[in-house]
Amino acid sequence: MRTALIWIGMWAVLFGGTPQAQESAASGGHSYVSFVPLDTVTVAQGHKAPVTFTFRVEKSYHINSNKPLTEELIPTQLHFSLPGEIAIGKVEYPAGILTSFPFDVTQKLSVYSGEVTIHAMVLAPQEAQAGPLTVHGELRYQACDNNACYPPKKLPISFNIKISASSVRKRARGNAQSPHIH
Amino acid sequence: MFFAVVVVAIAGLLFAGKLMSRRNTVAAGALNAGAVIGVQAPDFELKVIDGNGKTMKLSDLRGKAVLVNFWATWCGPCKIEMPWFVKMQEKYGPDGLVIVGVAMDDSGEKTISDFAKQMKINYPIVQGTEKVGELYGGVEGLPTSFFLDRTGKIVDRQLGLASESVFMDAIKKAMGNGAGAKPASGQ
Repeated sequence: MRTALIWIGMWAVLFGGTPQAQESAASGGHSYVSFVPLDTVTVAQGHKAPVTFTFRVEKSYHINSNKPLTEELIPTQLHFSLPGEIAIGKVEYPAGILTSFPFDVTQKLSVYSGEVTIHAMVLAPQEAQAGPLTVHGELRYQACDNNACYPPKKLPISFNIKISASSVRKRARGNAQSPHIH
Repeated sequence: MFFAVVVVAIAGLLFAGKLMSRRNTVAAGALNAGAVIGVQAPDFELKVIDGNGKTMKLSDLRGKAVLVNFWATWCGPCKIEMPWFVKMQEKYGPDGLVIVGVAMDDSGEKTISDFAKQMKINYPIVQGTEKVGELYGGVEGLPTSFFLDRTGKIVDRQLGLASESVFMDAIKKAMGNGAGAKPASGQ
C-alpha cells in the first residue's frame, strides 16, 4: 500500500511538471528565419571540407547583415558548440545588401533577405576519431519588416559530419601538429 | 499510513501549484492583443534610466496625458519617431503631456543612456521588463505606442511606425479626453 501511494505521489509530481516543460519548449515565438538542412559533411582525418549553411528569411522581413552599418544594430552571427576535436573556421558571411526602407528613405542599411548562404570549413585533425558526429549551433539574428523590428532571436541548427579514416597516418598521435585553417 | 498520506498530500499540492503557475503565465490584468481602446492601462513601476536608482510608476501620472512608447536601441523605426516625440514633449509638456520611453533592450543601462543622449531625448526613459511587455499584450514588434488619457485609459495604440501626423492626432486625443482634461494649446 505504502509503495503504491509513493508511486502515485511520484507520478503526480512528474505529471505536474509536464505542462511547464512543454510550454518552455514551445515558447520560442515566431521565427523569421528557417534553416535548410544540409547533407552529411564528410571529412578525412587531417583534412578540411567546405560546408555551406543556407537560411531563408521570411518574405517581407529582413535581418541585419554580419556587418551592420551602425553599432547599435545586432549583427547576424553563426555560433557552434563543437564536439571533440572538430574545428569550424573561415566562416564567410555574404556581404549585406545596402537597402533603404520606407521608415527612413534617407538611410541605407546593410541587410539580408530571401536566401542567405554562409560558407565555412570543417576541419578534422589527424587525431580525430573516425565516425559520425553531430554539430549543434545557432544563428543569432534580429529581424525587421518595413515598419517594425522584432526582438533578437536564436535559431538552433545542427548538421552531421562523418570523419573518415585517413589512409596514411603522417605522424604518431603524440607528435601531431595542431590543426590550422587557412 | 501517515507517511503515505503526507506523500500524497505533498504531491497533490505540487501538482496544483504547477497548474496554477501555468495559468498565471500571462500576468493578471494584462491587455490582450486585440481591442484595448477604453481599457485602463496596466500599471507598472520601472527603473528610470539615469535616474539614480529612482523608479517611475505609471499610475502616478494620473491627470496627465501619457504616451507609453516601447522601443529598443536596435530598432531602426524607433529612431525615426524619437525626434518627433522630442518636439511633441517640448510643445505639449506644459499642457500635461508626458512621454515615457520603455526601453526593451537587455544591453544594459549605459547603452540605453548613451543612445538616449545621442538622440537628445527630453522625456523619461525607463528600463522595460518582459513582464511589463506581457502586461501590454506581448509587445512583439517595436516600436509600439499606447496613448493614455488623463484618467489612465487607453485612447489609441500604434503598432509599428506611422507618420508624424498619426502620432500628433493620437496625442491630441489623449490630451483632450478624460476627467479633469486640460485644453491643449494649439488645438
